[in-house]
Amino acid sequence: MSGRDVDPITLTVIWNGLLAIAEEMGSTLRRTAFSEAVREGEDFSTGVFDGAARLIAQGNFTPGHLGSMPYVVRTVLEYFPRETLKPGDAVLLNDSFLGSGHFPDCFLVSPAFLGDSLIGFVVTTAHHIDVGGAAPGSQRVHGVVEAFQEGLRVLPVRLIREGAFDEDILRMILANVRVPEKVEGDLRAQANANRAGVERLSGLYADHGSEIAEAAYDAILDRSEARMRELIGAIPDGVYSFDDQLDDYGPDTPPIVVAVDVSVAGDSIEVDFSRSSDQVPAALNAYINYTRAYTVFAVKVFCDALLPQNDGGMRPISTKAREGCFFNPTFPASSGGRAAVQIRIFDAINGAMAQALPDRAMGAFSHWSNPNIGGVDPETGKPFVMYDLAFGGYGGRADKDGAEALAPVMNCRNIPVEVHETNNPVRIRRLELMADSAGAGKFRGGAGLRKDIELLAEEALMTGLGDRHISQPFGVFDGAPGQAARTVLNPDGEARELGSKEVVDLKRGDVVSFQLAGAGGYGDPRERDPAKIDADLADGYITEAGARRDYGYGDET
Amino acid sequence: MYRIAFDIGGTFTDFVLAAKDAPPRFLKLPTTPDDPARAVEDGLAQLLAAAGAGGADLEAALHATTIATNAIIERKGAPTALIATEGFRDVLIIGRQKRYETYDLYMEKPPPLTPRRAIFEVRERLDASGQAIEPLDLASVEAAAERIAAGGYESVAVALLHAYANPAHEQAVRDVIQARLPGVPITLAAELSPKFREYERTSTAVANAYVRPIVERYVERLEGALAGLGFKRSMFIMQSAGGLASPEIARAEPVRIVESGPAAGVLLAAAIGVEEDWRHVITFDMGGTTAKLGAVDDGAPAVTPTFEVDPIRYRPGSGLPINMPAVELLEIGAGGGSIARADLGVVHVGPESAGADPGPMCYGKGGDRPTVTDANLTLGYLNPSFFNAGAMTLDVDAARAGIERDIARPLGLSVEEAAWGVHTVANGNMERAMRIVSVERGRDPRRYAIVAFGGAGPAHAARIAKSIGAPAVIVPFGAGVGSAIGLLQAAPKIETSQTSVIALDAPDAASDIRAIYANLEERATADLARLGAPGEPEWRRYGYLRYRGQGYEIQSELPAGDIGADYPAAVEGAFHKAYAQAYGYHDPNAVIEAVDWHLVATLPAPGGALDLGWRAPETSAPAGMRPTWQPEAGGFVDTAIFDRRTLAAGARIDGPAIVEDPEATIVVPPGAAARVTARGHMVIDMRKPGDAR
Repeated sequence: MSGRDVDPITLTVIWNGLLAIAEEMGSTLRRTAFSEAVREGEDFSTGVFDGAARLIAQGNFTPGHLGSMPYVVRTVLEYFPRETLKPGDAVLLNDSFLGSGHFPDCFLVSPAFLGDSLIGFVVTTAHHIDVGGAAPGSQRVHGVVEAFQEGLRVLPVRLIREGAFDEDILRMILANVRVPEKVEGDLRAQANANRAGVERLSGLYADHGSEIAEAAYDAILDRSEARMRELIGAIPDGVYSFDDQLDDYGPDTPPIVVAVDVSVAGDSIEVDFSRSSDQVPAALNAYINYTRAYTVFAVKVFCDALLPQNDGGMRPISTKAREGCFFNPTFPASSGGRAAVQIRIFDAINGAMAQALPDRAMGAFSHWSNPNIGGVDPETGKPFVMYDLAFGGYGGRADKDGAEALAPVMNCRNIPVEVHETNNPVRIRRLELMADSAGAGKFRGGAGLRKDIELLAEEALMTGLGDRHISQPFGVFDGAPGQAARTVLNPDGEARELGSKEVVDLKRGDVVSFQLAGAGGYGDPRERDPAKIDADLADGYITEAGARRDYGYGDET
Repeated sequence: MYRIAFDIGGTFTDFVLAAKDAPPRFLKLPTTPDDPARAVEDGLAQLLAAAGAGGADLEAALHATTIATNAIIERKGAPTALIATEGFRDVLIIGRQKRYETYDLYMEKPPPLTPRRAIFEVRERLDASGQAIEPLDLASVEAAAERIAAGGYESVAVALLHAYANPAHEQAVRDVIQARLPGVPITLAAELSPKFREYERTSTAVANAYVRPIVERYVERLEGALAGLGFKRSMFIMQSAGGLASPEIARAEPVRIVESGPAAGVLLAAAIGVEEDWRHVITFDMGGTTAKLGAVDDGAPAVTPTFEVDPIRYRPGSGLPINMPAVELLEIGAGGGSIARADLGVVHVGPESAGADPGPMCYGKGGDRPTVTDANLTLGYLNPSFFNAGAMTLDVDAARAGIERDIARPLGLSVEEAAWGVHTVANGNMERAMRIVSVERGRDPRRYAIVAFGGAGPAHAARIAKSIGAPAVIVPFGAGVGSAIGLLQAAPKIETSQTSVIALDAPDAASDIRAIYANLEERATADLARLGAPGEPEWRRYGYLRYRGQGYEIQSELPAGDIGADYPAAVEGAFHKAYAQAYGYHDPNAVIEAVDWHLVATLPAPGGALDLGWRAPETSAPAGMRPTWQPEAGGFVDTAIFDRRTLAAGARIDGPAIVEDPEATIVVPPGAAARVTARGHMVIDMRKPGDAR
C-alpha cells in the first residue's frame, strides 16, 4: 500500500498523534527523573519507530541522539529477533559505537504490541550522570585511551521482562556506578516514559488499523524526504570546504584538525570529515553515530529548522568520515568527553555553508564547558558528582547580534547556582558575562561567560571539558574572532592556567574559574551602528578601551 | 444592597450588578486603554442609574484586570533597577539558557524587563542554609543607591542569592535604599517569593517591581472613581490563584494579579460545574486567537505554584517565569481565527491567527487566509445571518473559496472534506492540550466534564470530549460575561509559602515543620488583617514534595491540626497518594523530601446562588432545519437548528443538532444528546447508554 492511499485528514491525525506521543514520553521522563542532567539539563530524547524499525517521530529534545536512534533500534533487533520480544519488555544499551558515542547515554528500547503483533518501538535516551570508569561523570578525557576505562559498557540486554525489572541485571549496573540511586531513578523514569509511549502507540494503531497506520508512515517518511530534497535543491551546487581545529585532547597534545567538505549536488548533500585528524588516544573521539547526529542537525538548521524529524528527512543527507578518523573512530576508541565536539561539528559545517548561504551563516559559538567534579560529600559521607553546564553566546548573525548566554547546539537548561549549592559541597563564586570578550562585527558575537566554582569538600577530582582556549571562535565576512577561553585554578591566589581538558585534584578552598570564549562576529566592525556601540557601553558588554580597540570608538576622523 | 463586579479585558470591560432579590444587570463597554477607570466610572454610573441606586448602596466591588499583564507584554512598566549579589549581576540576563525551539538558532531571547545597565551589585553572600559567609557591605549598598538615584529609576527590586533562607541582607539593603530614595517602591524577592532557584525568583521580583508604579497609580485612580460615585466599602481585586486581595496587597505585590481575568473565568466554570453536579471540570475557553484550558478538582480551581507570562508562540520556557500561585492554565494557538494551510500533504492549523481584524475570510474585512471559523461556516455549523446575535453577516462564498484554494485543491479533497479536515485538526490540537491538562497531570478524563465557553469553544467541545473520553460537556448560559460573574463567586484568600528542604525521615522533621507553619501562620494572619474582610478563615496546608533526588515536586494537601511527632508520617502518606495519582505508582521505601510549604487562608465567599440572568421561556420554539456536515452520519445531513433563547428547562435535543446562542454556536454531534438544565445551562451527554457515571 502506498502513502497516496491514506486520506490527508487521517494522515494529519496520525502524524500529529505520533508527535504527541514523543512529546508525552519526554514530559513523563523529565517529571520523574532523578538526576540534574535529565531533569534540569533535559539531556535526553524520545523517539517512535514503526515495526520495520524506521524512525517516524522524534521529540523536540536534545539533538545529540538524533542520528543514532535508528541504528540503535536495528542493533537491538539483531540481538533480540522480533519473535523473542514480549509485551512489557525493554532492552537497554549504552555502547559507544552502537549507541550515541559515549557510555553515559543509555538507550531503553520497548516494543509495542497490538494483540500479538509487534507494531513498533518507542525509545528513550538519557544522559546518566555516572556510569563508572576512570572519573566521576564518566567523561574524563585526558589519560583515558580506551573505552574499557570509561565505565560500564552494556551491549543490548533485556533489562525489563514483561513489565518487571530484571533485578540481577539492575544490581550489576548499579554496582558499577558512583551514584546508584540517581542511575536507578533515571532508568525507572525511562521505563515510565516507555510504558506511556507504548500504551499510546498501541492505542493509535487500534484506532486506525495497522494497514492505515503503516500507509501513513510511508507517507510521512516520503513527504519529509521530498521536502528535504527540495530544500537542498535550492542550495547552489558545489563543494564547500572549511578547516577549524580543536585545541588539543589534553595537556601537551597537538590540536585536532576539524576539516569538512560539504558537497551539494542536486537534491542531496554529502558531508565528509575525512580530511580531519586521526582518532586520538583520549576520550574525545566522535563515533560516526554522533558525527551524523550533529551533521543532520546542522543541515536542518540551514534548510528548515522546523522540518519534522524522522528517517525520511535524513535520507538525502550522507555523513562520511574515513575509518579511523577522529569523526569515525573504531572501537575501543575512548569517547566519554565527545560532547565537547558537537559544537565544532556545527561550527565547521557553518563555516563551509557560509560560502553557499551567507544569509544563514553565523560567527562561531562561544563553545561551552561541561566539567564534572566528584568526591565525597562531607555532610552525607556519600559520593557526589557535580555535573555542570556553562553556556556562552552565539556568533553574530546576518541581521542581528549573536544571542547572549544561550545553550549552543545541544539544547539544555543550566543548573541553578542555588540547586548546585544545595545538592553538592561547592560554592559558585561568580557567574557573569565578560566585558570585551565578544567577537566584534557589524553584528557582534555574544559575550563569554565566567563561572568560578569553589570546592567545600576535603578533596575532589575535577574533569575539565572545554575548548577554544587556543583556537578562537572565528568570525565570518570580516567579523572578528571572539576572545579565547581560559580555565584558571585559584584566579585570586596562586593562579595556574589549566588546559581545557585537564584533570585536576582539588582540595578544600580551591577555586576553578571557567572563562568561556566570546562568540565570533558577523561582518566588518567598522560597519557597526554607533548606537549599538553606545548601548553596549552603557550595558557594560564592552568597555571604552574595548570599544576603541575593536571599533575605533572615540577616534576622531 | 448590591454588589458590583467588573472585568477589564483588552477589548471590553464587562460588568455585572448583582442584588439579593432582583435579577442581575449586565453591561459590556469598550475598554478605555489610556485610562481604564473611565470605562468603569461610565459603566457603574449607567448600571446604578438603571437600578435606581447609588454608590452608597454597594456593599462590595470586585474587580479583575489585565493591567499588570499588559504592562509586561507591552514592556510599558516603570524603569526598574535590580540589586544582585556581587558576581551575579547576570542572573536575569542569563536565565535558564534553553532554546524554546531546539532547531532554531536564529531566535532571540525575550528581552528582560530591565536592561543590564540597570542591574547593580552589592557585596554579600549567604550559603544555602541562610548563613552569612560574607557580611553585607553597606558601603556597596550606598554606592548602588547613589547610581540608582542618578539613573532616575522609579522602582527597585532586590534579589540576593539564597535570601529565601534568610531575608536579613535584603531587608538591610531595603533600609539603605529607602533612606536614600524615599517614596521609591522596593520589592524584596525573599519576601515576595521565598523559594529557591535564583533566576525564577529574580524574574518574579523584577516583574513585580516593574509593574508596581503602574498598578499603584491605577488602583488609586480606581478607588477615587468609586469613591466619587459614593462607594464607601473596600474594593477587592482578583488574584491569579482565584482569591480576592485588598487594594493594599495588589499595590505592594502586583504580580499576584497578573492572571486576574483568567482566574475569574475558571472560578465561574467551577461554580457552574458544582451547580450541575460535576465537581471535576476541565475548563475550555476558545476565543478568536487562542484556546485556554484549566482544571477544577473537587470543586476547586487547580492552582500551579509558578507560571510564565508573555510566552512566545505559546512555547513553554519562552516566557518570563513568575513564582506565584496562579490558576493552572494552558494556552495554545488555536482559536476561531487560527489560519489553516496545507503543507507536506497534510493540514496545519495555527498558531498564526487572523484574530478579529482582519479576521476570517467570511468576515469580509480583508482577511485572505481561511480560518477555523471559515471551516465551521462551510460545514454549516455557523448561521451566516446570526453571528454575534446577528450583529454581523458572514460570507459563506468567501469562506468556501478560501478553503478550496488553500486546502481542498492542494490536497485533492472536496471543499467539505477540506473544511472537515480543518475542524478535525483544530480539535486534535486542542485534544493534545487537553491530554496535557488531564492525563499528564494525573486527571482521569472519564471523571471530568468539559465546561466550554468563548466564541468558538461550544462548536468544538463535544467532539474533543468524545476523543479524550470525557463524559459530558457543559455550555454555560451567559458565559460571555463569565469572568465578571466569576468574581462574585470568589472568596478573599491569602497564600503564603516558603522553601525549606526537609527530609521527612530526619529526626527534627516534625519540629522544623511546626516552626515553618508557625511562621507562615503569622505572616498570613498579618495579611488577613490587611485584607479587612469579615469571617473566620479556613486554613489549608500544602506541601511540594518529591522523592529525594528528584527535581520536580508535586503538590500534596497536608493534614490540618497540630503538628506532632507523627506529622512527617502523615505528610509522607499524603505524598504517596498524590504521586500514585499522578504517575500510577509510588515507592514506599524511598526517602521523601519536602521543598516548598504553603499555607492558604480562605475567608467565606460572599455567597449567594449563581444567577446568570437566565429566565426560562414558557415553551420551546420549534426547530429550524439546515444541512450540516456530520461525517459520523455520512456527510451533509438535514439538521435541527435551535435558538437557545427559546429552549425551556428540561428541553432535550438529540444530535446531530445545532443550538444557536447570541454568543456562540453549540454543535451536538450524532450520537450525543443535550438537555437544558434548570439553571439554563446546556449539558451534552457524551456517554453511550449503559455507561456508568
